[in-house]
Amino acid sequence: MSFSCPMTRRESLRRLLRMSGGAALAGIASAAGFSSASSQPPADKKFIVEAVGRTDGYQVKDLVRKTFDAAGGIGRFVPKASVVAVKPNLSWARAPQFAATTHPEVLRAVVELCQEAGAKQVRIIDHTIHDARQCFALSGAGMVAKETGADLVFPRSTLMREMKIGGSRLDAWAVFTPVLEADVLINLPIAKHHSLSTLTLGMKNWIGAVGGNRWALHQDIHQTIVDLAQFFKPTVTLVDAVRIMTANGPSGGSTADVVAKNTLILSNDPVAADAAGALLFGRKPEEIGFIRLAQKQGLGTYDTAKIDQKKVGV
Amino acid sequence: MKPRHLVWIRRAAQALFLGLFLYLLVETRLPQDVYLDYSRAFSAESDLRLDAPVAFFFQADPLVALTTLVSGGALITGFLWAVGVVALTVLLGRVFCGFICPFGTVHHAAGSIKPSLKGERLLAANRKTPSQRIKYLLLTGIILSAALGLNMAGLLDPMAFLFRSVALAVVPAVGNGLRSVFEAMAASDYKIVQLLSYGGEVLVAPVFGYAAQAYQTGWFIGLLFLAILFLNRIRPRFWCRALCPLGALLGVCSRFMLLKLEQNAEKCSGCNLCAKHCQGAASPKPDAGWEAFECLMCFNCFNVCPEDALAFRFRWAPAFNRGPDMGRRAILGGLFAGVSLPLLGRLDGRVDKVEDPRLIRPPGSLAEDDFLQTCQRCGLCMRVCPTNVINPTLAEAGMAGFWTPRLIMTQGYCEFTCTLCGSVCPTGALRPLSAREKTGRPIKIGSAYLDRGRCLPWSGNTPCIVCQEHCPTSPKAIYLKTEKVPRPDGGEISVQLPYVDLRLCVGCGICEYKCPVQGLPAIRTISAGETRSPKNKILL
Repeated sequence: MSFSCPMTRRESLRRLLRMSGGAALAGIASAAGFSSASSQPPADKKFIVEAVGRTDGYQVKDLVRKTFDAAGGIGRFVPKASVVAVKPNLSWARAPQFAATTHPEVLRAVVELCQEAGAKQVRIIDHTIHDARQCFALSGAGMVAKETGADLVFPRSTLMREMKIGGSRLDAWAVFTPVLEADVLINLPIAKHHSLSTLTLGMKNWIGAVGGNRWALHQDIHQTIVDLAQFFKPTVTLVDAVRIMTANGPSGGSTADVVAKNTLILSNDPVAADAAGALLFGRKPEEIGFIRLAQKQGLGTYDTAKIDQKKVGV
Repeated sequence: MKPRHLVWIRRAAQALFLGLFLYLLVETRLPQDVYLDYSRAFSAESDLRLDAPVAFFFQADPLVALTTLVSGGALITGFLWAVGVVALTVLLGRVFCGFICPFGTVHHAAGSIKPSLKGERLLAANRKTPSQRIKYLLLTGIILSAALGLNMAGLLDPMAFLFRSVALAVVPAVGNGLRSVFEAMAASDYKIVQLLSYGGEVLVAPVFGYAAQAYQTGWFIGLLFLAILFLNRIRPRFWCRALCPLGALLGVCSRFMLLKLEQNAEKCSGCNLCAKHCQGAASPKPDAGWEAFECLMCFNCFNVCPEDALAFRFRWAPAFNRGPDMGRRAILGGLFAGVSLPLLGRLDGRVDKVEDPRLIRPPGSLAEDDFLQTCQRCGLCMRVCPTNVINPTLAEAGMAGFWTPRLIMTQGYCEFTCTLCGSVCPTGALRPLSAREKTGRPIKIGSAYLDRGRCLPWSGNTPCIVCQEHCPTSPKAIYLKTEKVPRPDGGEISVQLPYVDLRLCVGCGICEYKCPVQGLPAIRTISAGETRSPKNKILL
């Protein structure tokens, strides 16, 4: 499926608006009158919250709540009766202990917070690399969806649509449309090692929001990450660093590569969120190609001292 | 019981068992909403398993049990169902063919819904012919061949035939057709059309899935199925009468059956209704002797006889029924075939001399010799595989291994922790594995080799680490070294070059599947190094 003539961003959004929120049958119910707020990040002040679980046996759920509370509460980002798209990283069919996918408890806490805030519908959306059924089953996302009542959108060809990306390397690319069809977009990446881009964090998570020949993106990985990051504009990014994968990424497969950090990073500046994530690995943000490029292109700042910074813990 | 009731009970049973067969076929898949309890996964690895007993019809199939027993020397799981079917046949005749067999039901329907034959032509078509001996030839050949080490039962076993045809040809063909409709609708600019597409897709996904399906030789499997169905328009239940080796086996078992057709020639008015409705061409009309072993126990003759000249009654006195009309030539032909096929089947040297590098068997496969003794070519593993990597072979396993499973890595990959194929195999040709055993031992199904001329970084064209990124082992079997290589324009480029560590590679093929050089990838998997074959070992 492709369009013969390239579209402008405005045109593609108009098309999307016409498409309604129907990611699945469930989407039909919410078809009437949504706005693609995900393309307009909150204009308010930039902030970053770093939350650390310090006590033994702390609850991930409490940590997530504390993180959002420090940023002004979930209600600041999730209006009542809104449709929320949550984009975790579920790329690999790996059990949670291998830290290849977003921690299911973090995912569950975010979904539940959105529901508490009065969201009409919460959708868990990821275009996985391994077979989606196995990714959803093993990563825990399937169980979270079942237990919270969130929609788990099954990636498929009919939901991929060629769109104008407008990047310097990617002009048009197939986009997994449900990511855009929501009022609120929450990026929920896991922080882990990657053999080409050095690290996988928030901005790289958008590779899981597109279709097409994704392997070709590796030929200029940093620029393509930044191209996607200027297209997908999340309301907030919550980096899951409860445990991080320090080697053999992005797929891992051994608990020997996993280090507990008990940390969550929340920011409305995607570059700052990734920069704080990089620091957890002992890397300077400016050493990571896509973080440096993103700041250069004005997507945000990796100097987290320049924005409103908060540290909390449980 | 009135005969009319008996016929309706038969129809109900046929519908029920055909429905059950199709239900189990559909359930031979990983559902979209499957999940594991991840809080348990933190402490111990658990495996994805199917809930439905998808191998049930194969367990209830005496031909599967018998051939696996004589060739592999093993009793299959659930073989008691097959023993039950044999016991039923000894008592009541081929009621399995008339009431239970889903393939028989399909033929029954194909021949009797809007029948193409009527009157004299139908009568002629339902007369017993020597072609009905062919099935005994096939049965003899299959059993002897299995005893000598080549189990070809699955090529003609009705359960395997039907499952393979529906799962590898009918379902994917219909599913792919529907998908192209949905994709065209989703590309539409009208909202309502798009919504209909999404809704329709969600509705059909439980049966057809969301992704396009492909099976090598699928077109041939489908054509054969259509041809066999078409034959019912010329001779009703041609397959059951002439070809079915399971029918032949059950016919032999019905030698002593107690339920007998009593023909009263005095009452018979010669209307021929019984012969016209006979499914098995078993000569129910009182002027000829009833052929018990050909009778499919459909009870049509009993039902349609206007004069009450026919009745099925239990006769407890031990008496032989008429012996099966096998024909000496058919049996001799079967014996010759049974001896020849195992000998001829090895002449391509696939078992004794050299393995085909493309013959990558699913994880947990037995060694090739044992594999050919047990595989039913039923297609359960191919249907259940979530990535569609398992395909029926054409020539990769030689004549002897036609339609046995093989992994085509350009079409899918073997998911590292997935053990579904072994968990559904009815005969144990694929050993059931746990994820722990598969990844821990590990079970290797082959190994990957780089084609440096094609590889993007090795040829100096562009950076690319896709194979290494996807490699599922830890540490990764594909590792990178940063080096400078000449660029096509004469300069130099610093790239990460991939290498394969054969000690770590399990042959899962995801590198080949994901390689940007599509079609003939720059990294390819061959069967060398597979755990199941000591001969095929590479490293000491």
